[in-house]
This record gives sequence, C-alpha cells and structure tokens, in this order.
Amino acid sequence: MAPVARLPDWFKEAKPDICLTGGRGSRRGFVEKTLANLESFLRDTLYGENASAKQGLLQGITPHVRIAGIIILVASSAMTANAAMLGFIVAVAAIITLASRVSFKTAAKRVAPSFVFTFILSLPVFFSFMTPGAEVFGAGGAGINGLRVSVTREGFFSAAFFLTRVTTAVWLASLVVETTTQGDFFKGMIRLPIPAFFVTALFMTFRYMFILVKIAEDAALARKSRVIRVAALSESQRWFASRATFMLKRSIALAQEVNMAMASRGFNGVVKVIDGKGMARGDFLWLGFTVFVVLLSIRF
Amino acid sequence: MEGKEIYRLERVCYNYGHQGVLPPLSALKDISFSIRHGEHVAVLGANGSGKSTLLKILNGLIFPMSGIVECLGGKVAEATLTGAFLRRFRERVGFVFSEPDAQLFCPTVGDEVAFGPLQLDLPKDEAERRVNELLNMLGIAALRDRPPYTLSAGEKKKVAIASVLAANPDVLLLDEPTNGLDPRTQVWLFELLRGLKELKKTFIIATHDLSLVEDLTDRVIVIAEGHEVAADGPRARYSETRTCYWPRI
Repeated sequence: MAPVARLPDWFKEAKPDICLTGGRGSRRGFVEKTLANLESFLRDTLYGENASAKQGLLQGITPHVRIAGIIILVASSAMTANAAMLGFIVAVAAIITLASRVSFKTAAKRVAPSFVFTFILSLPVFFSFMTPGAEVFGAGGAGINGLRVSVTREGFFSAAFFLTRVTTAVWLASLVVETTTQGDFFKGMIRLPIPAFFVTALFMTFRYMFILVKIAEDAALARKSRVIRVAALSESQRWFASRATFMLKRSIALAQEVNMAMASRGFNGVVKVIDGKGMARGDFLWLGFTVFVVLLSIRF
Repeated sequence: MEGKEIYRLERVCYNYGHQGVLPPLSALKDISFSIRHGEHVAVLGANGSGKSTLLKILNGLIFPMSGIVECLGGKVAEATLTGAFLRRFRERVGFVFSEPDAQLFCPTVGDEVAFGPLQLDLPKDEAERRVNELLNMLGIAALRDRPPYTLSAGEKKKVAIASVLAANPDVLLLDEPTNGLDPRTQVWLFELLRGLKELKKTFIIATHDLSLVEDLTDRVIVIAEGHEVAADGPRARYSETRTCYWPRI
C-alpha cells in the first residue's frame, strides 16, 4: 500500500464558522471583463453562423464564387467616382442583405465600428481649411487664431462619399461573414487564386487566436479564484503584462505542437481540402452580375 | 509481414534546450529496443520521464542527439526523412497526441478527418468515403460540420483518433489516450483498440493507465526517472511482478 502523504499540522486547524450570506457579490475586474468580451467577440466572429444555416441568396451560392463576387463588388465600390453609381452599389448591398435573410441590425453592428473610425478620420475633410469651397455651416466669422473653421459643401460631399464607400465595402464583407460558415470560408479561400501560404497563415491564425484568448481568460479566472477583492486596474494591468511572457511561451509551444501534428499527418506546406460541388447556374449568374457592376463602376 | 521488425532504436539520446544558453535537460538516455509488426507495446514511466519525447522520435517529429532510429527498414533522421520514404513513413505511422487541441486545427470535423488522406494525395472521393465511414463507425457523423473547438473532451479525442485512422496506418502511436476521458469514452477507446489489435495493427501506447496495459498490450517498456529503459519485457511478466516495477514508475 502506498504511504499516506504526511500533511503539515496547520492543515488540521479548523476554520471558525462563518456566515456565507450577506455579501454583495463580486464585480468582474477590467482585465477579466475585457478578456471575456474579446472571447465572446471572437466566438461570434469565428463561429457565429447566424444566417449561414438559412436559405437565402448568398447561402445558395458556392462559397468560393460567393467570396469572389463580394470581392468584385467591394472593388466596384472602391473604384467608382460617381455618387449615383455608389448609391446603386449601396442598393445592391441592401437587396443582397434582404435576400440573404441577414438582419439589418446585425449588419449595422458589424459596420458601426468602421463607420465611427472612418468618420473621425474624415472629420477634417468637412472643413474649409482642408477642402475649400462654398460654406454651408459656420460662415460668418467662426475661427481659431484667424483660421476660418466652416463646413464647406465640397468638404461635406467628399467626406460623405468616402464614408459611404468605406461603409459599403465593410457591409459587403460582413455579408460573407454572416452567410458563410468558417469551414466554407476557408474552403472557398483555398479554391480562389490566392497564394496558399496566405490562406494557411490566415487559417492557423483564426484557429489559435481563440485558444490563446481562452488561455488568457483561464489565467485571469485562476487568479480571481485566489484573491478576495477586486484588484485595482493598475494592479491587474501589471499582472496581465507579466502574464504576456507566459502567453508568448505557451503560444510558441502550442505552435510547435500544431506544426508537429500537421507534419505527422503528411502536411507539406499546402492545405488540401475536399472540393465542394462544381459551379451551378446560380453561381454563373451571380458572378456575371458582379462583373457587370464592376464594369459599370469603371465606366462611371 | 507479421513478426517483421518495424522499429529499431540503438542508444538513442535526446536533450531539451540543446540550442539555448541554459544547460541541456536530458529527456532520453541510451534507449535501445526493437518493435516487431503486430506487437502492442505500453510505454510506462513517471511524468517527465520522456514517454512523449520517445513517441515524437518514433514519429520522426524530433530527431535524437545521438543514436540510431530505424523504421520500415530506413533510417529516421532529418536528412533521410524526405521524398518517397517520408511519404511511406507518414502513411504507415500515425500519432495521436495527448492534447487534442494541438491536433485539431481544421475548421470542421469533416475537414479534420480528411486532412491526412488529402495530404497523402489520396483521391478526393476516396478521402470522402473514408471520412464518411470513419465518422459513422465512431458514432460522430453528426459532428461532421462542427468546428472542433466546440466539442467536448471525449468528442475531441474521437475526432483526433479518426483523423489519424483515416490514413489507415499500420503503426499507431498513442500518447496518453485515456487522459481526461470519462469512463464511457474510455470503454469506447478500449473497444476500438481491441478491434485494431484483432486487425494486427501495431500500437505503442504511452500511458499511466494500468488497466489499458493489462487489457490491450503484450509488452511493457518502463522508462525510469533517469530517462533510460528500466525494464522491457512481456506484459505477463509485468503483471506477475508488477510490484517490482512500481517503484521505478
């Protein structure tokens, strides 16, 4: 029989009875909350398959053709210099959203961060000091140190055009994310004429980003289980910075293990997948339509 | 083919940290043994004794600092494990990692199982057929389109095993296969290994699970904490004299 471990004497000391009720509960610290939000965001982004299971326009198109068509539409929105043409592409995006049974609310959530960022970025374009022209707001002398600050008509239209163009591109891209499962997305990418190295790198990054965030979140929870108060933000940040090295080491070890697991199964640098179905009539129609749009955007 | 030598290891040594500034850490010392086709070998040893390192060497994933490893009549070394030999080696030897998260890297379970056959250039319809049959055989057909991340530990292990079996290897290396499995999945694994044993597949299992050793293996190699082989013999002898092995494990 194996010997019983000799426990120290302080293990035998009984704890006084305590009342286990009456606490106010604990708040989550900033770091834990950030990690939990990041994990939930990644989960939604990588594994959220909200509209992909529904029957709809994009869902009915073979993944690689779907991605190619959306890339062509994004290119169209980037190339056109005509407001009416851009408006047409926005209308196309709206029709695809409806026909693919993606909710506008979901699309708006995906587009909102880039809209806000682009708006801030394009803010100076509204004003006369960046875009001279006919003043529409602030005329009559508002100024800082002699510099007139007013919104010009030209500035407003330039910024609005830029904002619409970026928003439309992100909207179209979000439609692929919403209507394509992660598996189909990578299979589609592999079938497109994109260098295999990029697809493999993207594929691995997506996969392991999630695991690393999970490791960080578990580390934060393990710490929480051993502390009795909510740590100050600076303390949490210091702790998290110290864990960054550990995370880096874990990620390197994990990457090596994955590399071995792939090599063990014959991987030689190119991910091969079982091709899906061949192209159907709907795929040709979709591709034809998107090419037509890009030709229009070149023309106008 | 039965009884033919598959592996031969001669005075194999491996150190970790051999390229760094810290002193190297010995993982394996003077390991010598051979394994024949159809043998079912358990590799036992304490944590950190070098069992996993040994399996990685047997799978040609890392290479020893000194000594010779031969498999299927060819030398397994960085310089020799290329071209046609590499392909033959990968077809014949499959490795189930102890940590399924490292092994499951494809977007879906179906892709995961198809990965090996496709990398070995099997026709796509044959790969598809193997995926369907394996998923049905292992009772995980419903998981086919699920991302591996979303699976339970037992399901992940099943997928990891399926992904290795898909290449139909003659030799299976299993690193702590029952680790973290609930009793029902352990029984499932025992049954699967029993079936593979009947098919005369060779397997080498690094494990702490003595019931797995008793039920499925016919030879035991014990690696001592000094990282060298402490005992190597038939499992029956080990069963009779297990008290002699215990202190070494």
